[in-house]
Order: sequence, then C-alpha cells, then structure tokens
Amino acid sequence: MDPIYRHSRCEAAVVMVLWTVAGVYTVGYCFLFGQEAPGGEIHFVWGFPAWVFWGILVPWVVCLGFSVWFARRFMRDDHLGDESAHELEERERDV
Amino acid sequence: MVLASLLLVMSVSLWLGWMAHQALRRSAFMQGYFLGNRTLGSWAVALTATVQSGGTFMGFPSFVYSYGWSVALWIASYMVVPITGFAVFGKRLAQMSRRLGAITVPDLLRERFQSPLAGLTASLLILCFMTFMMVAQFKAGALIMREAWTGGGWQTAAEPDGMDRYYYVGLFLFTAIVVGYTLLGGFLAAVWTDLFQSVLMLVGILILLPLVLQQAGGLEEATRRAMARAGPGIAFLPGRDAEGRAFLPLGLAVSYFFLWVFAGLGQPATLVRVMACKSADTLRRSVYLLGLYNVFIYPPLIVICICGRALIPDLPPGQSDAIVPRLAVHVGGTLPWGGLLAGLVLTAPFGAVMSTVSSYMVVIAAGVVRDVYQRFLRPHASARELRRLSYLVMLLIGVVAVVANLQPVEYLQAIVVFSGASGAATFFMPAFMAAFWRRATAAGVVASMVAGAATVLGLYVAGWLGPDPLIGEKSRFSPYYLCQLHPVVWGLGVSVLAGLGVSMLTEPPRGRILDELF
Repeated sequence: MDPIYRHSRCEAAVVMVLWTVAGVYTVGYCFLFGQEAPGGEIHFVWGFPAWVFWGILVPWVVCLGFSVWFARRFMRDDHLGDESAHELEERERDV
Repeated sequence: MVLASLLLVMSVSLWLGWMAHQALRRSAFMQGYFLGNRTLGSWAVALTATVQSGGTFMGFPSFVYSYGWSVALWIASYMVVPITGFAVFGKRLAQMSRRLGAITVPDLLRERFQSPLAGLTASLLILCFMTFMMVAQFKAGALIMREAWTGGGWQTAAEPDGMDRYYYVGLFLFTAIVVGYTLLGGFLAAVWTDLFQSVLMLVGILILLPLVLQQAGGLEEATRRAMARAGPGIAFLPGRDAEGRAFLPLGLAVSYFFLWVFAGLGQPATLVRVMACKSADTLRRSVYLLGLYNVFIYPPLIVICICGRALIPDLPPGQSDAIVPRLAVHVGGTLPWGGLLAGLVLTAPFGAVMSTVSSYMVVIAAGVVRDVYQRFLRPHASARELRRLSYLVMLLIGVVAVVANLQPVEYLQAIVVFSGASGAATFFMPAFMAAFWRRATAAGVVASMVAGAATVLGLYVAGWLGPDPLIGEKSRFSPYYLCQLHPVVWGLGVSVLAGLGVSMLTEPPRGRILDELF
C-alpha cells in the first residue's frame, strides 16, 4: 500500500474527529448558554459575553494548540514524489 | 493620504507581478504560469489559500455590526479550517498531481479517472461558479477606491446615487492594476501579491484594535452601549434584529460549521495551492501558520465591529459594509497621523479584494487554456500560443468584470457564501474520492459534481422565488433553507450519495494508474 495514502487516511480521520468534537461542543455550548436570559442579564469574561468566551474563544485556542501538536508531531513529512515523465517531457518542450 | 496609501499598494503589487514575470522567464510556460513550478513555501501556502476576500472586510463586518455577537458563532468553524484545509487530503492531492502531471483541478480529475468528461465537467463548473464570485469582487475594489478618493463619502452599490464618476474611475483603475499584475506573473504574481496583502490586512487590524477599544471604553462597555442602541438581541443568540429576523438559528449554526470547513476543502483556488506546495513539510507548517493568522484576524475583527456599533451607532441601512473604513476615518481623525492610519486600514479590504480577484483569475484562465483549449481543441499548441491565449483570456475577464459592474451586483457577502457553498458541494466529494477511494469511478465523480452543484443552485433559485424566511442574513439573494439548514448541507449530502451510488452501480475501474496511486 502506498505510504502517503496510508498516512493521509489516518491523518484525515483524526482531523475529521477534531472537526466533529469542535462543532458539537461549540454549537452545543453556545446554544445552551448564549440565549437571551430573562431581563437581558449578561455576564462577561475579559470583556467578552461569557458564552462567546467559553463557547468560542477557548475551543479556538485549544484547536490552535492541537493543530500545532498535530502538524509538528503527528503529521508525517512524506516525500511527495517527483514530477511525472509526462510533466518533464512537457517542460522540455515548453521552455 | 488615504488615496496615496492605496496607490502605493497598487504599485507594489505591480512590481511583484513584474518580479514574478522575471522569475518565470526560464521555466516551462504552463507549469510556471499556472502552478508556479510547485515551489510554494509554507508562508505562501498558509497565507494565500484565499480564505480572505472582499467579504472578510466588508460583508463580515457588516454582519457583526447588524447582528452582533452571534456572528462569532457564524465564523467559529475557522478554528479548524487550517487543519482541515491542509491535512485532510492536502498531501495526497500534492502527491497525485505530481505523479499524474496535473496542473489544474480538472486536470487532476481527468488523469486520475482517465476521463475527459470528468475534466470537462469540472472545468465548466469552475468557470461558472468562480466567474460569478470574482466579478462580484470588482465592485468591492471600486467602492474602496471611491471611498479613498472622496475621503469618507461612502455609499453602497444598493443606492443608485452612490454610483458616480469616482466609482467608475475606481473600477477602471482597480481592473487595470489587478489584470495587469496577474497577467504579467500568473500564479506566482497572484501568490506573492496575496502574501504581501495578507500582511497588510494583519497590520491594519492590529493597529485599529487597540484604538477602537480605547475610544469605546473597553469591550464590555462597547457591548452594553450596543445593546442600549440596538436591543439586547445583539449580545445573544440567535442574533435577532429589530425586525424580528433570527440571524443564526440552530440549523444554520450547524450548517456554517459545515460550510466554511468544506468550502476550504473544496475550493479549486485552495486545492491548486496545495498542489503547488514544495513538500509535505510545507503543508505541516502551513497548518499552524494559518491557524495563528486566523486567531489574529477574525476575533479582533469581531471586537472592532462591536466597538464600531458603539462608536458609530446609526449607520443607515445598506451602509454597514463600510463600518471598518468608517472606523478608520473616525479613529484616525483624533490622531496626528490619522490620514496615514485610515489609509493603512483601508489597504486591508483592498488587499483582500485584490488577492481574491487575482487568484480566481488564474484558476479561470487555467480552466480555459489548459482544460478546454489545450485538452480539447489544440492538444499540440505551442507554449507561445498558450501564453498569448492566457493573456487574452485575462484581458477578457477584465472587460467582462468592468461591463458587469457598470450596474454592480448587490449582496457581496451573500455571493461569497454562495460561492463557498457551491464549491464545497461540487468539489469536496470528487476530491475525496480521487484521494482515498480506489473503487470510485469516473461516472461516480461526474454524478457527484453535477448533483452537488444542482442541489445548491436549485435551493438558491427556490429562495430567490420564495418569500423571505426571516432567518439568516437579510438579502434578496438568500437561499431556501430546507429544514432550516443551509443548502451546503443538502448539497454535500446529495453529492456524497450520488458519488457513492453511481460508483457502486458502474464497472469497477482498473489500470496501471490505480496500482501506482494506491
């Protein structure tokens, strides 16, 4: 089996799990805690509405941290291969 | 001072176009002009994958101004867009495009499935959807020129009075510069200017952020003042406005978690950058570089526009597109070098528009020259002939854009969303099938593209003809939200089913290429 195919399949699966978890948490949290309270009362964290801070900013930072780890430690630095014979032939003709 | 800043950006862009032209002189025309000889490094791939457009600095801020904090959830999926955009099938597409000698997305599908029909279908759909999106961007470029010229007399295209001679001069000048540098240096010119303009956007935002926060008395105070003016709905979901419109009900919130992620995965302009990357390490670095860039662009932009609602509370309907430039002028007026600041901030949306237009022009020209002319009409055309045709196509694109914008399109952000949705529904599944599914067939890929595109288009036409659903953005160009879900969800679903179903019903593919790729 082609190694890039094998590695990419595994990496894609991990990323799609991250997307699912991020989506479920973010949309779920925001709709649980971001609806208008009776009397329009609102709580803030560092100037942000609390539901934006915990529901969007915090997962955003977590996803960024995960992305750094994923890119540096998990994603393989595979050799992408050389240009095809067809491409080289075309290049010689075009120059 | 403001106009001088824009003219400076234009001059630097033209110079970069010339430099790209010089860099390509000794390389093969098609490889160099349309794919930059596969030499893109991580900064270029990360910051130029065309996630920003005129909508980022005009339509998106307008949404925040009108619907408040709910827009933070609307854009929240950008937290995963960098990792999904580059890590799902970036490496695989880069590898396949090298092995198959593919320069464009239709090229890749044609070679992978050994099917001219798959390539032609992809070409036609790209031409159709991308031209629509690109032409809409010219209006934004012309309006920014006009704003710079008149020094704050911003009006939107929705108002006939707003279309004066400044708009038309801006349109001609903008078109001449963008077509000029893109024509000179092709893909590399688009990428280099894109990189330069991305840095400008970041600088503009980071300068504006502390200034507006200080003037608004802090973010919490800004939110409270906005609530007092526009009602409490501006601080809560679903972002209800004074007319009772719910900007982001649950179904749409879920939909936008699909839309931006799959638009990033399926946009041909993004796919072609992945194909042009230098190495797998480039893609790895691009994941976190773009992640960092997005953190410094989107959340600050939301904060700026919330402060904008507090500082300039009563922009007339239809003029909220101008909130970022207006804020720059407003804040700059109190500072010694205010004109320079306003100019610098205005270069951000201007850079975003220019970069979108140039990268789309390259993809469209490649579609015509490589995927139609060279593949079907003149397979043995010389490099000289292809070069001339490429220049001609780019000039034609400029002429079409000018003519189309003499009566400019409205609803820029709605068109950006439409373009993202159609790209996602049309190209995500075919790219996925090409990368990961050995059993996928050419008929399955064609069915997947056509079914996805037709579903999105059909729901938009239904929305155009039907009554206002009172959800989502207020626009005549709104789609029909079946079960309160955006058409992208239905388009993706139908595309997946069509791709799987038709592939399973047709003869399994065979051949040497499959053994090489899997």
